[in-house]
Amino acid sequence: MYTLTHDDGIVTLTLAMPGKVNKINRDFAEGLNRGLDEALAVPGRKGIVLATGHRDFCVGADLDMIFGMRDPAEIRAVTAGLNQLLRKLETCGVPVVAALTGSALGGGCEVALACHHRVALDDATVQIGLPEVNLGVIPGGGGTQRLPRLLGIQAALEIIAQAQVLRVAKAKKVGLVDALAPTREAVFDAAKVWILANPGAKQPWDKGTKPPGPQPGSEEARNLLLIAAAMLEKKTAGNYPAAEAAVRAVADGLAVNFDTGVAIEGRLFAKLVASDQAKDMLRTFWYHKSAVERQEGLPKLKDARFNKVAILGAGMMGAGLGFVCAQRGYTVVLKDIRAEALVGARAHCEAQAAALKHLPEAERAAILARISYTLDLADLAGTDLVIEAVVEDVAVKARVTAEVEAYLGEDAVFASNTSAIPISILAKASKRPANFIGMHFFSPVEKMPLLEIIVGKETSEETLARALSFGSRIKKTSIVVNDGYGFYTTRLFASYILEGCQLVAEGHDPVLVEWAGRKTGMAVPPLKEFDEVTLTLGLHAFEGREAVTGQPLDLDGVALVRAMVTEHGRTGKAGGKGFYDYEGERRIWPGLRALATATPAKTGVDYLARRLLLVQAAEVARALDEGIVRNWRDAEVGAIFGVGFAPNTGGPLAWMDRQGLPALVEELRALAAEHGERYAPAPILVGMAERGERFFAEGAPG
Amino acid sequence: MGTGPDAWIFDAVRTPRGRGKENGSLYGVKPLDLLSGVLVALRDRNGLDTTQVDDVVVGCVTQVGDQGACIARTAVLTAGYSTDAPGVTLNRFCASGLEAVNHAAAMVASGFHELVIAGGVESMSRVKMGSDGGALFDPQVIFEVGAVPQGISADLLATLRGVTREEADAFALESQRKAVAATDAGAFRRSLIPVTDVNGEVLLAVDEFPRRDATLAGLAKLSPSFQVMGEQFGLDALTRNAYPHVERIRHIHHAGNSSGIVDGATAMIVGQRRKGESLGLRARARIRSVAVVGDEPVLMLDGPIPATEKALRKAGMTIGDIDLFEVNEAFAAVPLAWQRHFGVPDDKLNVHGGSIALGHPLGATGAMLLGTVLDALEDRGLSTGLVTLCVGGGMGIATIIERV
Repeated sequence: MYTLTHDDGIVTLTLAMPGKVNKINRDFAEGLNRGLDEALAVPGRKGIVLATGHRDFCVGADLDMIFGMRDPAEIRAVTAGLNQLLRKLETCGVPVVAALTGSALGGGCEVALACHHRVALDDATVQIGLPEVNLGVIPGGGGTQRLPRLLGIQAALEIIAQAQVLRVAKAKKVGLVDALAPTREAVFDAAKVWILANPGAKQPWDKGTKPPGPQPGSEEARNLLLIAAAMLEKKTAGNYPAAEAAVRAVADGLAVNFDTGVAIEGRLFAKLVASDQAKDMLRTFWYHKSAVERQEGLPKLKDARFNKVAILGAGMMGAGLGFVCAQRGYTVVLKDIRAEALVGARAHCEAQAAALKHLPEAERAAILARISYTLDLADLAGTDLVIEAVVEDVAVKARVTAEVEAYLGEDAVFASNTSAIPISILAKASKRPANFIGMHFFSPVEKMPLLEIIVGKETSEETLARALSFGSRIKKTSIVVNDGYGFYTTRLFASYILEGCQLVAEGHDPVLVEWAGRKTGMAVPPLKEFDEVTLTLGLHAFEGREAVTGQPLDLDGVALVRAMVTEHGRTGKAGGKGFYDYEGERRIWPGLRALATATPAKTGVDYLARRLLLVQAAEVARALDEGIVRNWRDAEVGAIFGVGFAPNTGGPLAWMDRQGLPALVEELRALAAEHGERYAPAPILVGMAERGERFFAEGAPG
Repeated sequence: MGTGPDAWIFDAVRTPRGRGKENGSLYGVKPLDLLSGVLVALRDRNGLDTTQVDDVVVGCVTQVGDQGACIARTAVLTAGYSTDAPGVTLNRFCASGLEAVNHAAAMVASGFHELVIAGGVESMSRVKMGSDGGALFDPQVIFEVGAVPQGISADLLATLRGVTREEADAFALESQRKAVAATDAGAFRRSLIPVTDVNGEVLLAVDEFPRRDATLAGLAKLSPSFQVMGEQFGLDALTRNAYPHVERIRHIHHAGNSSGIVDGATAMIVGQRRKGESLGLRARARIRSVAVVGDEPVLMLDGPIPATEKALRKAGMTIGDIDLFEVNEAFAAVPLAWQRHFGVPDDKLNVHGGSIALGHPLGATGAMLLGTVLDALEDRGLSTGLVTLCVGGGMGIATIIERV
């Protein structure tokens, strides 16, 4: 659990909990407590260096423990115990230095904050920060109290409320880390030097030192908190109680003494940990996401046998993909039929490289050197993986597939980055359909974490395994779905933005529709999102869907989009006008209301928000029913990381569970009767409701 | 009204309003001296036996520093009133001055008190607005209530009621014109008490905030005061929960069409008619009714409408029964929205200008407006007046008086 060494009065307490990481739970607390007592009993001890026997210093709270706790009183008791221990650490009478040879996250960062001094290994992989808010909770180990008292209200709020995790260089800059050292040995040397130079070390809050910046209770501090609260609401529309509680903990905690502040934090922490939202966010953002990233239950390959990657189509997506692949060490050929596109792609890649400021110049140059740009198909010879990112047209894609395959070896994989066209249809143009697969990336590909891998009828397990391996190497979170028009994410996305149009056609105030979108927690309101996609592409996709599925999309919302484009010339943001006017202040086009074809019987933000979520829930259920989604965890991860589904819900399935499936089925049936079959509950949902099942059992991590 | 004795106003005095900045004529005068000065004037010109004063009720918003620790009682002592006269300071934000009058009237009408001095004081040059901190802008309140600073509410009100920048500026200019005309015509002569120094030398004898040189073109040049905080610091977004259909707030208010920051104090004698007359005082007007209401806190400033309705209902009157109105010009949109609602003609509303031209010494304004409307009724030979103010936190207040 821990080891103790001492040299010249410097006691090094090295924590190494069983397993690969130090995470905070009862065992950790016991180990730290006993180790501390033992360290303090060392004769002639001058100070303590707190160190890790694992790669990371401490990765934070044991999430199994957090996930399992539902009783606020119990949660409060657990955190109170930990906080007592941290108080003991920082008031033990000798200087304590945290030796951050690895990352200190969440509770780990809080342990480091309870030391008098923090020395970190100067390495880009070492990180420190407080990401709790992203999991629906706040720091519970005094982080909301120590950080503002150490860095000031503003700097602390930025880290805590925005759930920031910083590289050590940045952490040093903001003062979260006191010193950097180039090697492990140097970290310990620096710790020792500091201990010897600061025998009477005390925490600022125990010395009565005022925090930097605006003083608690001052007008400046009040204004700062007002603006922080307002900016938070502007960004989140009130969907994240944890972020609000973080601001509250800082504001309320700084008005009182340190120990009372910690108690205030503990009460807010307990309320959040016990909440449904924290459980749903934890399940998706920790358990599901980790399982997806580990590719649990999926075919694995040590070596995907990909060295040279060719991207067909050097537009925004193609160029981005090329850059991402080169960044991860692949030799990349960007192929287009237009020289201008290649010029643009080169500029894009150069700009992306320049933005990687934390990398040495030579490394940035090496990334760019791995990318070549060509008009000549012959340059694709020897390619192991082709990713096709040309226009969404079956005929064009088929022609390109045939042309390119002529230059490929037997073992090469051909992937299409189509966002909707069934892979099995595209694979018909391929000589080797077993090597043909869908890789649906999201734009901008440098930022968007998701990769939706689509398995066609004839795609081999080997090809899937190679695609998954590739996904890991380029650091994407890969979900795997079966084939069908729109796969999973595009179907979900289309149901959302189309419903936005449908609601406008029904006569609801578009301003309310947009606000309702925000109130659900969706990343972008539906009409704004449609403007970003561009209306013409949307129409094209609707037509494609009709062509593939043979089912006409007979919705007033579709007619409204068509009227926008053909009668009013409003094609979206790129065209300068869409659902919004973009000249001057961005605002809903005043003429939009006149395109309504009905007057709604009822309206209002709550009603509209519910419609926007329910229509997506019905679509997700159909995707499950049709076997498109292979694993429920993918439905959650894909929705949130791919198409901006409301993270505050934990995902569409978690949201459905919270509604209660029987009630949900009833509600969907009523809406289907009133507004059409797109609301009809899929058989899977009806069956689960009848059997009293849920997608994820309460308290079960997956 | 109830069955108790009536509450009457016998006399009212006020200081001129000084610019509430370091270059204002009253900046060197402590608020204690402003308040004490009006108490002295009220006593001396009425020959008031201060042993008969049951209480001195003073409105004051920012009760810290110079204005802390119950300034009412301290001013009673420095004014040389009988030590028998107590004092209480109260805060209902911008309604504090009128609240003091209403509070006094309620005590008198209930029969608990017979004679009360009511008034208000605010030295905004010395005690900065908002320097008392407060619960209202705590993050928790922002998350739970969505409270925004008043300027955002004022612009929201303008947006909701379709009050344009041009209308607000025209209203502001008219406030200036009326205030200057009233000053020149001596309309404030009966109430105005010069502020003097320790030697009796006059520091300020007339209101110094009105701008004789104000023009529409000049007003049009001023930048909106709340646009940056509203749009860039997220405060506009806080109003969306309560007003989801307002896509964008139009920021129309600026320093020229919002109330002025000034220093000043006021005091009036309120009592039972028999009691006042036994002390040789002349009853000038009866307080017909008082009203205070709570209203939606994000819009915050719409309270004068329900407060007016409530006061009228309590008095058994209709809007047409009132001869003159004072609707506090906290922001131009407030009286404009109020006027649109009731359809009151221009010549009955704020006939001597308002807080845009004269300034708004927060804790004193309500009581000052009551004195102003009383003077105006007397000058015009009219009978009934109504004073109403919007109030922070989403409240409204109103008082109706009727001359003898």
